[in-house]
Amino acid sequence: MKFAIKKCIAWGDGKTSVEDWYTFANNGSLNTETLTLPELKQMPAMQRRRLSPFAKLTLHCALAASESYEQTVPSVFSSRHGDLHKTSKLIADVANKEALSPTHFGLSVHNAVGGLFSIFTGNKAPLSAVSAGEDSFFMGLVDAVSKLHAYNYDRILYVYSDLAVPEQYQPYVQQNPDNVAVALLIEKSTSQACVNLEFTSHDTPNSAESSQLQALAFLRFYYSNNQQLVLDSKRYQWQLSHV
Amino acid sequence: MSDLSTEVKQLIIETLDLEDIEASDINDDEALFVDGLGLDSIDALELGVAIKKAYDVKIDGNTDDSKKHFYSVKTLCDFIASTRA
Repeated sequence: MKFAIKKCIAWGDGKTSVEDWYTFANNGSLNTETLTLPELKQMPAMQRRRLSPFAKLTLHCALAASESYEQTVPSVFSSRHGDLHKTSKLIADVANKEALSPTHFGLSVHNAVGGLFSIFTGNKAPLSAVSAGEDSFFMGLVDAVSKLHAYNYDRILYVYSDLAVPEQYQPYVQQNPDNVAVALLIEKSTSQACVNLEFTSHDTPNSAESSQLQALAFLRFYYSNNQQLVLDSKRYQWQLSHV
Repeated sequence: MSDLSTEVKQLIIETLDLEDIEASDINDDEALFVDGLGLDSIDALELGVAIKKAYDVKIDGNTDDSKKHFYSVKTLCDFIASTRA
């Protein structure tokens, strides 16, 4: 499936500007790898106060990528783990028989950040939330591009984010513990530069998940001169190329 | 300002993540919701749970009584004090 990326905004550990991502993609070293949080000054303090780091990263990218289309663009929000830091705290409260925080409960559901985006921008266009294991980044992208074509949208916003999982879950996840959010404003392919995404499922699944975070592999591809990205997950082979 | 009132204000600030507000910024008689401090319905739920946890008081859902109790810091303190009497 072919599509054009009109805008790409990403935020990760020590990588917040386009220059940072170019450096990252072209094997340069970055001064710092610590996660800072976007300020989201455009949001009133009374709304902003409830945002977790996960929500801040995701909303920053979603708002910066959608810009003048933020009130009308349909969107797909994808994440493998969602706001797991919030969820695991709630689970601990359940285990300790503590009363649950209504706010944390409401904001821990998988489509919570999409909901916050919709409330803040007043956007009533269709919005879906995807989770697809280690393939969450690419499967969400497949969902977004498919919707773009199936509904003949002018454009669609695709947002992916994941934070490193809380310590107690790390033994169960093969992917490197990185923090990353990326938002793409996607349009149908034109004669200009566009991207082609193909995927096939393995006849026999691989025995283990990949250690690569797909979103970071994508950003390395997007910000470098690499013509192609080939990435195997447990169940699929993903191929991305510039056309 | 009574100790209980300072305590309740601190609880409000911490529970509701009111980053830029200090206890001394909250007026005892000022409305907590909508006008005044500007809290919303989600805050009401959250504050209800926190007050229940901290002071072991029983709050009856969305009744006229509970609306009166949650009007301001002063009414909240009076309510908490009355359950202790």
